[in-house]
Amino acid sequence: MGAVRIRSCFLQLIAQVQEVSLDGLETYVPLLSMSQNLAKLAQRIDFNQSSDSDEDGPERESREPWGKPEPEEDEGTVKFQPSLWPWDSVRNNLRSALTEMCVLHDVLSVLKDKKYMALDPVSQDPALTKTPQVFQLISKKKSLATAAQLLLKGAEKLTKSLAENQEQRRQRDFNSELLRLRSQWKLRKVGHKILGDLSYRSAGSLFPHHGTFEVIKNTDIDLDKKVPDDYCPLNVQIPSDLEGSAYIKVSIQKQSADIGDLGTVSLFRRQPKAKPGSQMWHLKLEAAQNVLLCKEIFAQLSREAVQIKSQIPHIVVKNQIISQPFPGLQLSISLCHSTGEKKSQRASPDKSKPDDHLYVLEHNLHQLIREVHTMPHPASSPFGHKRLRLAGPMAYDKAEISSLQQSEGLLEKIIKQAKHIFLRSRTARTIDSLASRIEDPQIQAHWSNINSVYESSVKVLITSQGYEQICKSIQLQLNIGVEQIRVVHRDGRVITLSHQEQELQDFLLSQMSQHQVHAVQQLAKVMGWHVLSFSNHVGLGPIESIGNASAITVASPSGEHAISVRNGPESGCKVLVQFPRNQAKELPKSDAVQDARWTHLRGPYREVHCGRMEGRNFVYKMELLMAALSPCP
Amino acid sequence: MEAPPVTVMPVTGGTINMMEYLLQGSVLDQSLESLLHRLRGLCDNMEPESFADHELVYLLKGQQGNPFMLRGRRSLLHPTAPWHLRYLGQPEVGDKSRHALVRNCVDVAASHSLPEFLNEMGFRMDHEFVAKGQVFRKGAMKVVVSKLLRVLATGNTENTEPLSLSYLVELSVLAPAGQDTVSEDMRSFAEQLKPLVHLEKIDPKRLM
Repeated sequence: MGAVRIRSCFLQLIAQVQEVSLDGLETYVPLLSMSQNLAKLAQRIDFNQSSDSDEDGPERESREPWGKPEPEEDEGTVKFQPSLWPWDSVRNNLRSALTEMCVLHDVLSVLKDKKYMALDPVSQDPALTKTPQVFQLISKKKSLATAAQLLLKGAEKLTKSLAENQEQRRQRDFNSELLRLRSQWKLRKVGHKILGDLSYRSAGSLFPHHGTFEVIKNTDIDLDKKVPDDYCPLNVQIPSDLEGSAYIKVSIQKQSADIGDLGTVSLFRRQPKAKPGSQMWHLKLEAAQNVLLCKEIFAQLSREAVQIKSQIPHIVVKNQIISQPFPGLQLSISLCHSTGEKKSQRASPDKSKPDDHLYVLEHNLHQLIREVHTMPHPASSPFGHKRLRLAGPMAYDKAEISSLQQSEGLLEKIIKQAKHIFLRSRTARTIDSLASRIEDPQIQAHWSNINSVYESSVKVLITSQGYEQICKSIQLQLNIGVEQIRVVHRDGRVITLSHQEQELQDFLLSQMSQHQVHAVQQLAKVMGWHVLSFSNHVGLGPIESIGNASAITVASPSGEHAISVRNGPESGCKVLVQFPRNQAKELPKSDAVQDARWTHLRGPYREVHCGRMEGRNFVYKMELLMAALSPCP
Repeated sequence: MEAPPVTVMPVTGGTINMMEYLLQGSVLDQSLESLLHRLRGLCDNMEPESFADHELVYLLKGQQGNPFMLRGRRSLLHPTAPWHLRYLGQPEVGDKSRHALVRNCVDVAASHSLPEFLNEMGFRMDHEFVAKGQVFRKGAMKVVVSKLLRVLATGNTENTEPLSLSYLVELSVLAPAGQDTVSEDMRSFAEQLKPLVHLEKIDPKRLM
């Protein structure tokens, strides 16, 4: 290149013709002087087109776009600007070259330091760069190893936190226990104390006990030692008079020895069943609430026992209420409160039987304690009984208003229930004892399943075995009330019996004797015998101490024989048979009666020994007798 | 026949001189649910009872002085229930430290001929409104959350529109005169409702 230029330099020494005038005169271009020539040549220097190949690639590339307009300028005519001195462009080019070189030098020195800049090779085509496979394997292994390490670290952290949580849960921190307590009991914060309410006030009770317990933090735990299984960070402090456990004992005893007592029953006596999840505080609070309930019930009962007037006054002694619903029957209700430190001295032989009616009685007591609130409509009316609000507009008189007021107290209801239960059980016992003692007319008792607290009913049938369809005239419906038994007979009679059991027994015995005679009447119809006379209450013969004797006389179809039956509850049965005259042993001869046909009339009587007759019951014997006395045609 | 003896002493005490202790507040419609929730938890354990009542306010204008006001209220849900006639006296100007508004209150149950009776007596109906909401109780305290609705056509309770976008909350106790512990209990109960609704005594005279 340089050689070409030098050659072109020499060619410049020959003047060039600028123009040729018309007369052949040549005008030469003024030759450039030495300095001018040098300037021109200097401008021709293309700093970009260097043949050096050991320049840095980026330098070349970076200079390329900058240097591109340069050769374009060179290719055009050299514009010689006389204002700029001729070496200006050279100087500029040199200066820019110097700048470039300085930059390069700085970059290299920074690179050498390796602190702020590093050179990385540009990713090359793997086809061009053939790295050996061993290296690939090693690099993959390394990257997998780093990824695995990260995952393992994360997993380790998770397991650690999980273990910590479980540890915490086992230790049962105070706040979570407090949350559990709050889900079951009413708590409120007063100052810096946490108080709770275990009374039944929100359910409508008006007992003046405050029923507040305090929640305290259990701090007597030694963290060095192992945490015990039943450790609880929360403890409750219940009022001192509710500590321990209480129950109400109800017993009915009879002072005379015929029936015996109806027994003793303990109410609200719950064995502390320790469920696996229940906490100590829960058991404590439940026991305290039970004590409060028993106290409330007993307080109300004793208040009523003192207030209400009854024939036999109730006795309230310390924690026992004694009343006598019936003479000779004693009902005692006592509140047994044990504080729990010492075992109860008296032996409690009665295990709480899982009777169904026990829970029903407890439920009854719960309901009787609570008032049932009704909201007033319209809403601005004061609270009060709904029916009583009508007293004004409907102009009730005093009798109606007093009937609206709740007059019956808890104790009265309990006594009434006790009386009814006692009466019912005694009636059942009477009927059963009679049924087992007397075989001849059988007693059947059908008790109705559906009863009320104050009333039960039973249907008593007196029948003879084998003749139930024929002799069913004695059917009694007994309605057992609180103090009386009302008997409705099939024939419409209504009899009221008192609570004395002797009355019922006597009545049933008299009915049984009447049944025998009724049975003979029905039997006569079936056998074809004629009823000559029938009386439920005969006035002849020995006087019965229980009821009245009944009698019947039936005659055979032919009229030859007659049977007279007299049955009394005490005197038993007496059967007489009347024979025709011609069968009598001694025949009184009479002048008046001479015709033979008069001997067919009935005459003398002969008694039948029922006890020696064959037959399992009286009616059967009568049937045999009738059959024997009716001759075969 | 002799006339039955008439007591010469005026009847005092018992249910005649009852005072109503009142605290009022209001809550916006969107916060109603949370308030009802809290009341269910705080008050006695019953199902919340809804009510819809129609109240008529009667005025008797004398020649001088303030007109005499009586309030008659009937239940729209229980049409056979008796009307409730109420007289509310002036608020007692006691010591400022009393926390609730105390005023004399006379409540009477009346039959369904009450409006005609009052008209015959000379009262004229001043305004009427319908209140719908729920009632809670805690012991002797009654909490009434109600929405007041304006009756558009006189006597027609079907056509109503709400007066505002909020519910009126009232805490009231009816007690014989002289029991100041009642206002303490009311204040502590109101404290428990604090961030949801602020119950305070609002003097009706200041609103006029």
